[in-house]
Amino acid sequence: MSNRRNFLIKSASALAVTFVLPSIMSNKSYAKKPLAAKVTDKQSWGMHVDTSKCIDGCTACVDACNEENGLSGFGRPETDSQWIRKVKIKEKTTDKITTMPLMCQHCENPPCCDVCPTGASFKRIDGIVMVNQHTCIGCRYCMMACPFKARSFVHETLTKQNTNAPRGKGCVESCNLCVNRIDHGSKTTACEDACNKLGHSAITFGDLKDQSSKVVTAIKNHNPRRLRNDLNLQQKVFYSNI
Amino acid sequence: MRHLRISSLIFIFIVGLQNGFTHDGNPHITPGQSKADSQDACVEPTNIMRKEHYLFLLHQRDDTVIDGIRTKNHSLANCIDCHVSYDEKGAAIPINAEGQFCQDCHEKTATNITCFSCHAAEPRYPNHATKLDGNDLKIIEDIAQHIKENVK
Amino acid sequence: MSDYGLDKLKASRFLYWGIFLSLGFLILIGLASSAYMEHEGHYVTGMNNQIVWGLPHVFAVTLIVIASGVLNIASMSSAFNQKLYKPLAPLSALFAIAFLIAGLIVLVLDLGRPERLIVAMTTYNFKSIFAWNIFLYSGFFVILAIYLWTMLDFNVNKYSSTMGKLAFGWRIILTTGTGSIFGFLVAREAYATAVLAPLFIVMSLLYGTAVFYLLLRVISKLQNIPISDEITLSLRRLLIIFLVANIYFLVLYHITNIYISKHVAVELFILFNGGGYTTMFWIGQVGFGLFIPLVYEMTNNKNMRNLPLTLSSLMIVIGGFFAVAVIIIGGQAFQLNIFPDHIILESSFYDNQIHSYVPSIFEFGLGIGGTALGLIIILIMITNLKFIPYKK
Repeated sequence: MSNRRNFLIKSASALAVTFVLPSIMSNKSYAKKPLAAKVTDKQSWGMHVDTSKCIDGCTACVDACNEENGLSGFGRPETDSQWIRKVKIKEKTTDKITTMPLMCQHCENPPCCDVCPTGASFKRIDGIVMVNQHTCIGCRYCMMACPFKARSFVHETLTKQNTNAPRGKGCVESCNLCVNRIDHGSKTTACEDACNKLGHSAITFGDLKDQSSKVVTAIKNHNPRRLRNDLNLQQKVFYSNI
Repeated sequence: MRHLRISSLIFIFIVGLQNGFTHDGNPHITPGQSKADSQDACVEPTNIMRKEHYLFLLHQRDDTVIDGIRTKNHSLANCIDCHVSYDEKGAAIPINAEGQFCQDCHEKTATNITCFSCHAAEPRYPNHATKLDGNDLKIIEDIAQHIKENVK
Repeated sequence: MSDYGLDKLKASRFLYWGIFLSLGFLILIGLASSAYMEHEGHYVTGMNNQIVWGLPHVFAVTLIVIASGVLNIASMSSAFNQKLYKPLAPLSALFAIAFLIAGLIVLVLDLGRPERLIVAMTTYNFKSIFAWNIFLYSGFFVILAIYLWTMLDFNVNKYSSTMGKLAFGWRIILTTGTGSIFGFLVAREAYATAVLAPLFIVMSLLYGTAVFYLLLRVISKLQNIPISDEITLSLRRLLIIFLVANIYFLVLYHITNIYISKHVAVELFILFNGGGYTTMFWIGQVGFGLFIPLVYEMTNNKNMRNLPLTLSSLMIVIGGFFAVAVIIIGGQAFQLNIFPDHIILESSFYDNQIHSYVPSIFEFGLGIGGTALGLIIILIMITNLKFIPYKK
C-alpha cells in the first residue's frame, strides 16, 4: 500500500517539476528568438547618440549599465570598471558645450582585436566587439590599444556577479551592447531603455542592416559623425550634434 | 627491490580504489534541497555527466561566447538553476560553497574549478529579466519539503 | 682558439654564498609581491584603468632589451668574425638567456591571469605583435641553447658561425617586435611610429654592451683577474658608437613628432611640462643615459683604467631604465585625444587630465625579484659550468 502511495507521490512531484520548472526558468520578458541558432552577419548591431538630447548631470545610462552588468564599484574610481561614462566637452572655437555618453565604439577594424595575443578580444560576426573571458590572460594590451579608453580591467576579486554578465578578477571587459539581452530577443540595450524611460531618447540601438530600423532612421536624419574619424576604424556608434 | 614493488602495488591499488567508491550508491551529494533532486537524470545521462561534464562546459562556452548559441541545455546558468540548493528561507546557497553540489566532488578529487571567479554561483538576474519571485520560491519550498519527507 | 680556455668561476665560498643568499632573498620578495598582487587583485598596485602598464613592465622591457643586446658580443664573434670576442661569446649567450628569463617572468607574473600562460602559449592571434613576441621569445631560447652547444662542444663547433648568424637575425626581429609592441598602437600619439623599432634595437645594443661590461667587471673582481686592455678599449669604442646611434634615433623620433601637429601636445608634455616624466627624460634618459657617458668617454681616450668605463656603463643602464619608463609610462600618462576639436571638461574616467601613477612597493618588489632571478641564474651557471675565459 505505502509503496504505491510512494510511487504516486514521486511521479506527481516529478510531473509537477517537469511542468513547473520550464516556466520558472524561461525568459518571460523577451520575445522568442531561436536560441539554438548561431549568430550571423545578417544583422550588424549599431548605435546612434543624439547629444542634443543628452542632459548634463544625468547618468541614467551609466546607472542602468552598472545595474544590468553588476558593475558594483568599490569606491576606487581609478580602478573601478566603467563600461559607459558621461563626458562633457567644449568646442574650441565656438565654446559650445556638449554632454554625451562614451562607450566601446564597436569598430569595424578594432585595434583591440588586432593586438590581443590570444584572440580573446574579438569581433562577433554580427559586429559586437567583446572579450572572450575564457581566453583572456589579463595582459591589458587591448587597453593600451583602444583610442577611446573603452576598456576596463577588473582589479579585485568579485562576488555576487549577475548571471547574465559573468565577470571576474584579472580579465578585461567593456561594453558588449548588452549581448546577452540581445541574443535573448531584446530590441534595446539597458542604457537606451533608461534614457527612453526618462524621456530623453538620446540613445538609439538597432540593426544597421535593417533600413527600417530606428537606428538607421536616426542616422539618416541627424547628420552623424564618428569619433576620431581620421583613424578610419569604421565604428558602429554614431554621434550627432556634437 | 621487492619492498619497492610491493609498496608500489599497494599504492596503485589504493589509487585505483578512489575512482570506485567516491560516487558508489550516492545519487546526490546534498540531497533534498535542489530542483535536481526531484529528477532522475540530468540533461545528459548521469554516468556521462559525472565523468565528462567538463567536456560539455568547454564546448558550450565557445558556442555561447563566439557563436551566440544560448540554449538552456548545456548552459552553465541552467546547471546552476537546477543544481543550486535552497535553504529553509528559500534563499539560494552559492553552489561553490563548501558541501554544495560542485565543491563536494571537486574537493574530494582535489581538482580546482575557477568558474565561479566570474560566473554567478546562484541565480541572480537584474530587475528586468527572469527573477525567482515569491511564487516560484513557494514551489521550490514545496518540492523540497515533499522530497525531504516522502522520497528516500 | 687554443690560446685560451674556459673555466668555472673561482670565487671564495663566502662571497659566493653571500651573493647567492642576497639574490635569493630578493627573489623571495619578488615571489611574495607577485603572490600578493595576484591574490588581492591589481588594485593594490599603482596601475589602474588609465596607466595599465607600470613599473613591472618597465623592468620587463628593460630586461628583455638588455637580453637582446648582451648577445651582441657573441654575435660580433660569430656573425661578424671578430676573433677578439670569441672567448667571451659563451658568456654572452648565457647572459642573454638569463636576462630573457628575468624579463619574461616579471611580465608573466604581472598578468591578470598568470595561470593562463598555457593559453597564451597555445592560442595565437597572429595579427598581434604580442603573439609574435611570445613565439619569438620562446624560439630565442631554443636558438640560444643550440648556439651555446655549438660554442662549447668541439664536435659541433663548425656550426657555431651559422647559429651565430641565425641568433643575430632572430635577435633583430625580436627587438623589432618589442619596439613594435608600442609602434603598432594607433591610439596614442607617443607611439604609432615605425622608428620605435630601430630605436629599440640601438637601445638594446647600448644597454646590452654596458651590462655585459659591468658583469665582466664583477667577474673580474671576484676572480681577481683583470680584463685585457684590448677588450676594454674595444667595448669603450662600441659604447661610444651606440651612444651616438641612440642620440640619432631619439632626436629623429622627437623632431619628427614636433613637426606633426597632431603630436605636438604629447611632445611638449614629455619635453617640458610633464613634471616627473620631463625630469626622467632630461636628467635620466638624456643626461645620465646618453650625454654624460658620451662626453666622459670621449674625453677619456688616453686613460685605460676600468673605472671610467664602469661609471659610464652604470649611468647608461640607469638612463636606460628611465628611457623605458618615459616611453611606457609617460606615453600612457598623457590623456587620449578623443575629441581633437574639443576640450574635455568633465569625465568620470579621467579623460580630461594627465593620468596619475604612483608605483606601489609590490611592483618594485616584482621587478627587483625578476632581475635577481636573472643574476642568480648567471651566478649558478658560471660557478658550476665552464664559462669564464682565461689565457693559457
